[in-house]
Amino acid sequence: MSSESPSGDAPATATPDPDEPRPRAFNEDWAAVVVGLALLALVLIGAIPEGVIP
Amino acid sequence: MATENADAQAAAEPAAPATSETAALTDTAPATRAPWGFIALGVLIVLILGAVTRFLEQHVPEWAAGTAFAEVAAAVEYPVYAIVLGLLGGLVITLTGLRDKVADGFRTEFFIKTGLVLLGASINLSVIARAAGPAIAQALIVVPTVFLFTWWLAGRLGLDEKLRALLSSAVSICGVSAAITAAGAVRARREQLAYTASLVILFALPSIFLLPWLADVLNLSTPVAGAWIGGNIDTTAAVAAAGALVGEEALQIAAVVKSTQNVLMGLVAVALTAYFTYRVERTPGSARPGLGTLWTRFPKFVLGFILASVVATIYLNQVGDAGADTIGVVNDLRTWFLILAFVSIGLEFRLTRLREAGWKPIAVFGGAAVFNLALALLLASLLFRGFEA
Repeated sequence: MSSESPSGDAPATATPDPDEPRPRAFNEDWAAVVVGLALLALVLIGAIPEGVIP
Repeated sequence: MATENADAQAAAEPAAPATSETAALTDTAPATRAPWGFIALGVLIVLILGAVTRFLEQHVPEWAAGTAFAEVAAAVEYPVYAIVLGLLGGLVITLTGLRDKVADGFRTEFFIKTGLVLLGASINLSVIARAAGPAIAQALIVVPTVFLFTWWLAGRLGLDEKLRALLSSAVSICGVSAAITAAGAVRARREQLAYTASLVILFALPSIFLLPWLADVLNLSTPVAGAWIGGNIDTTAAVAAAGALVGEEALQIAAVVKSTQNVLMGLVAVALTAYFTYRVERTPGSARPGLGTLWTRFPKFVLGFILASVVATIYLNQVGDAGADTIGVVNDLRTWFLILAFVSIGLEFRLTRLREAGWKPIAVFGGAAVFNLALALLLASLLFRGFEA
């Protein structure tokens, strides 16, 4: 395998901008925060009582 | 060589960077994502194997009581069942031709991050505050040193610049997530990301069992063992699995150390974007990566992890010891999400990618992993000596 510059692969405009928002990654990261904190809140207010989780 | 063939083939295809761990480990391009029915089936497979894991974890010690296997059965914990069942499940779906259809349901990233947010609730805020200093110091030394070592080693073996960036990020920061981030920053090919992700899993699986065993052999204190695991194992799910095998305290320290490394991912992404824009690709007029990139790459689950710790700490301060049982319910939920993540790791593992990659990336990854192992052990021993959770 060569180690030459890969600049000839494709013009920069043909590839996605790495700074563009990534909807799926964004969702998965934030979804974990929302679901995790929501479950914590449900336990603390007693909506998920002891003995319910197997 | 196989790698060259893969690169040559990939060079003809425009990059379509994966944006999740699941996507990075599958052959399915985002444009050809499986129908919802198959995704639901994938989630169902994970849930069923997770339920079997929980069942075995709770009942095997009872069944083995009074037999020659009693001690072994008591020592085997849920990460072992989950990963083994995941690997067996992966074999079955490969043989039945279902793998590519259902793989989108193996949401390792979501499961592990939700598990870590819930883990935050069992860690007193003071532990995070006290561990943050040594964890940041360890990360600031380990991440750049291992990154530069891997970059150098990959260069010596003549690997492509983009693959060097992916391997270096994966080994030094946080495995598949870092490889995905680096792939976006350097515009790597999908194939390069896929076999980097497979390499991460290949090395993470034995580490889950090897590091707790070595920590025991080396007689490391629990905080040092946790810091070593958190600073060494690449992928966050595997860190949690290994930490859980050592014990609750080790899991907590490992999670804090790993989360600190995760935060550095944003900085590395900015540096890689700048390096590839200005030095490798020399794209004229490219926007300078800045705070926006930093925020985009910031692992948001770390915010949830800290917030959960804040909420639980305040809650326990108010209700006192009576709150321990309530936090126990949160811990049960956390265990469930970790089990689902470990099952998914096993399900996602595929050997074919590594055959395509050839021996050089494996040699680089192996060499870097050993270097990381030694450096993280040294730093964890120095920085977490005498630490009490």
